[in-house]
Amino acid sequence: MVFEQEQEEVTPGAVHGYRLSTVVPSSVTGEVDYALADADLAFKLHYLRGVYYYPPGDVARGLATKVLKDPMFPWLDDYFPVAGRVRRAEKDAEAAADGAPRRPYIKCNDCGVRIVEAKCDRDMDEWLRDDAPDRLRQLCYDKVLGPELFFSPLLYVQITNFKCGGLALGFSWAHLIGDVPSAVTCFNKWAQILSGKKPEATVLTPLNKPLQGQSPAAAPRSVKQVGPIEDHWLVPAGRDMACYSFHVSETVLKKLQQQQGRHAAAAGTFELVSALVWQTVAKIRGGDVDTVTVVRTGAAARSGKSLANEMTVGYVASAGSSPAKTDVAELAALLTKNVVDETAAVAAFQGDVLVYGGANLTLVDMEQVDVYALEIKGLRPVHVEYGMDGVGEEGAVLVQPDADGRGRLVTAVLPRDEIDSLRAALGSALQVA
Amino acid sequence: MGSSAAHQLKQLKPLYQHVVNNFVAVLAAPLAVAAVVNAARVGPDELIGRLQALRAVHVFLAVFVAAAAATLYVMLRPRSVYLVDYACFRTRPNCRVPFATFLEHAKLVTFVEGASIDERSVRFMTRLLERSGLGEETCLPPAHHYIPPYRNMEASRAEVELVIFSAIDDLLAKTGISPNAIDVLVVNCSLFAPIPSFTDMIIHRYGMRPDIRNVHLSGMGCSAGLISVGLAKNFLQVAPKGAHALVVSTETITPNYYVGKERAMLLPNCLFRIGGAAVLLSTSRARARFRLARVVRTLTGAQDSAYRCVFQEEDGEGHRGINLSKDLMTIAGDALKANITAIGPLVLPASEQLLFALSFIARRVLNRHVKPYLPDFRTAFEHFCIHAGGRAVIDELQRSLGLSDQDVEASRMALHRFGNTSSSSVWYELAYIEAKGRMRRGDRVWMIGFGSGFKCNSAAWECIAPACTAEGPWAESISRYPVDIPEVLKH
Repeated sequence: MVFEQEQEEVTPGAVHGYRLSTVVPSSVTGEVDYALADADLAFKLHYLRGVYYYPPGDVARGLATKVLKDPMFPWLDDYFPVAGRVRRAEKDAEAAADGAPRRPYIKCNDCGVRIVEAKCDRDMDEWLRDDAPDRLRQLCYDKVLGPELFFSPLLYVQITNFKCGGLALGFSWAHLIGDVPSAVTCFNKWAQILSGKKPEATVLTPLNKPLQGQSPAAAPRSVKQVGPIEDHWLVPAGRDMACYSFHVSETVLKKLQQQQGRHAAAAGTFELVSALVWQTVAKIRGGDVDTVTVVRTGAAARSGKSLANEMTVGYVASAGSSPAKTDVAELAALLTKNVVDETAAVAAFQGDVLVYGGANLTLVDMEQVDVYALEIKGLRPVHVEYGMDGVGEEGAVLVQPDADGRGRLVTAVLPRDEIDSLRAALGSALQVA
Repeated sequence: MGSSAAHQLKQLKPLYQHVVNNFVAVLAAPLAVAAVVNAARVGPDELIGRLQALRAVHVFLAVFVAAAAATLYVMLRPRSVYLVDYACFRTRPNCRVPFATFLEHAKLVTFVEGASIDERSVRFMTRLLERSGLGEETCLPPAHHYIPPYRNMEASRAEVELVIFSAIDDLLAKTGISPNAIDVLVVNCSLFAPIPSFTDMIIHRYGMRPDIRNVHLSGMGCSAGLISVGLAKNFLQVAPKGAHALVVSTETITPNYYVGKERAMLLPNCLFRIGGAAVLLSTSRARARFRLARVVRTLTGAQDSAYRCVFQEEDGEGHRGINLSKDLMTIAGDALKANITAIGPLVLPASEQLLFALSFIARRVLNRHVKPYLPDFRTAFEHFCIHAGGRAVIDELQRSLGLSDQDVEASRMALHRFGNTSSSSVWYELAYIEAKGRMRRGDRVWMIGFGSGFKCNSAAWECIAPACTAEGPWAESISRYPVDIPEVLKH
């Protein structure tokens, strides 16, 4: 269907021609409410933004929007909370006397997921080569929950068609409903249905009871208290944040591993890469990055629920010396051994918090997340990048596997004016020696 | 005293019905007995003598006149028209629109340039939907899943092709008939009339014969399905025997999303949903499933209020929509009365007609407050398919006709599952009755349609063979029906 809004000014090369539609579960869910766990509510101010790039060719050309949308209907039958909307609990007699906002939950009313169709008049290769900071934002619909929670979808899927025939799929996922592994598994299941395979059953637990434990008096060190947040679930950062992705090749990784020397207590690739970035950011900021928050997938600790926020949250303090002057290897060792786990405290804390970039620079481990498994009709993505919205000023760094699994792709979410410095500072470190 | 008298009357009623309905037999029986007694008294010899006295010519003439009269009667009688089979458009889950989505879209359209719909309108539509009797599975065309909805010709044609081609494909598969064998093609769709017409679209797609008689009826409202059936019947009765007619009833929703804020014009947005039906009629009884007994059309458009009752126009801001007047129920009731008065004498058994006539005379002559006698149409029909125009319409008709909840169940459930699919809703209701296994050979069905004009049209069918498969629009959902529909569905 052709529909051009001719009145919009199109900057050449920008993504334009947005058309919104909605996809709902194919069968009636009924009167079901999905209660949000305390851990879910801790992450409510963050939004995952993931983009998958598919190369031009016969397969991509055959992917009309209808082909992509049709499997979403049965997919949402399995993931019906994602198609719901946030509501606040009804007032009841036992409500907190301090007039705090009532507890949010998800009403599974089948309202649906928003699909955005867009176009770009550039070739995908050119777009990727350009390496523009914040290109993620153009390919993921950057809406958040609120100001009207009633009408805010929890997931947006943007389908962008490039001039050359390449396709980009951008997912905007409210962190509230699930963490990074939950989100990626959810998207992979859609691709499986699209390819005609029957995916594994989803395990949903709509009844998440609030934790009964005592709330810590102050926010844990890993996070920063904000708010109180009313119905617009975004804390505007004082500075303009942007996402920038860069590749850490296998050779550079090997070099980092070799440099470990006496710290050969086998720090993993995540520790090494994030240590490198920690050091670089500390140099750019001239100190003051003594503590970092570490968010890890922790596959062992996962309960098997399909939608849950089960990533571990902790912090690492650099002992004494400034990270700008410390070895990458030493920082990596700290990240391996000295993480103070605060997952339970963060979940139990009753106030509104910013986990990513709130109190400290946040390092996010996505090593065990299989992002390249989102194959559409056998077509693997050539490039995947995951960023985050709603990140605080301290910034966040996401480390994920790259296309062949041997290198790493790092997305840094930092204030826009720090991006150039980061590029410059990393330039030399990422050169093949 | 009064109640026991009424109770006695009730017990006498079946006896009364037997006597009046079989009046001829009731009269003939004693006469026959008298004749036999007389013959016995006269004696067999006397009888034979009398018979021999009859002249051959007289006998021959008597037999010939009787035979000629009978033959003329049979030949001049209009041919019976039969329904071979019908198929309704089976809605897809990917067209589903739950309430929450519908309202969210309406809300988002308020931000779109050029639309006048506002917050108050959205709240009004919410209240309407809650009380509408629609369920969460009704479907809208794919163009309406966009914000704002597409309303252009290309999208409208896409909807038409989706609905009628799939319904016709189902019908051709069910009946095994080839498109070449179709002699008459009648399509009705009120609100979208492109050039070339829907009939040309169908002829093009299925490669039908060049001498096919095709007609597209537009602007005839929600009762147009029965008008099409009537027209096809007329065509068939002058066509060679054994001709086939394909009747397609649908309504195209795509171009008609109203983006203004007139309340009377927001109602169609909430109630109308995608749907369509294809019906094969023939004058050949082979493989027929129903016989078309009657088609009765009544129009009340001569009166101003009826004419303006359902009126398509542009509102104060230039947005086009369908304006439903506040006296819709009254006018519908009047139209129904007119139709009942026309169809009653044709279908009701003599017992009911006599009672109605007596009550009519009593009201005229005695002029006391004699309540008008409401004929019991359940003596004439086993099943009722009342156009699912809306909850209020069905309730009003149930009251006017004195029907039970089970009689109108098909209408209520079709409204819940499919929404108001306009002219094809009576076919979805028939499909419901058959899916529930309630149709028996010999059962009579009354289809009533209402529409702009104001028209009220009826068709009476008699079942020859009930459906033998469970295929149809209800295949996946029938096990969940009937459902209890609350007065207000809060969500």
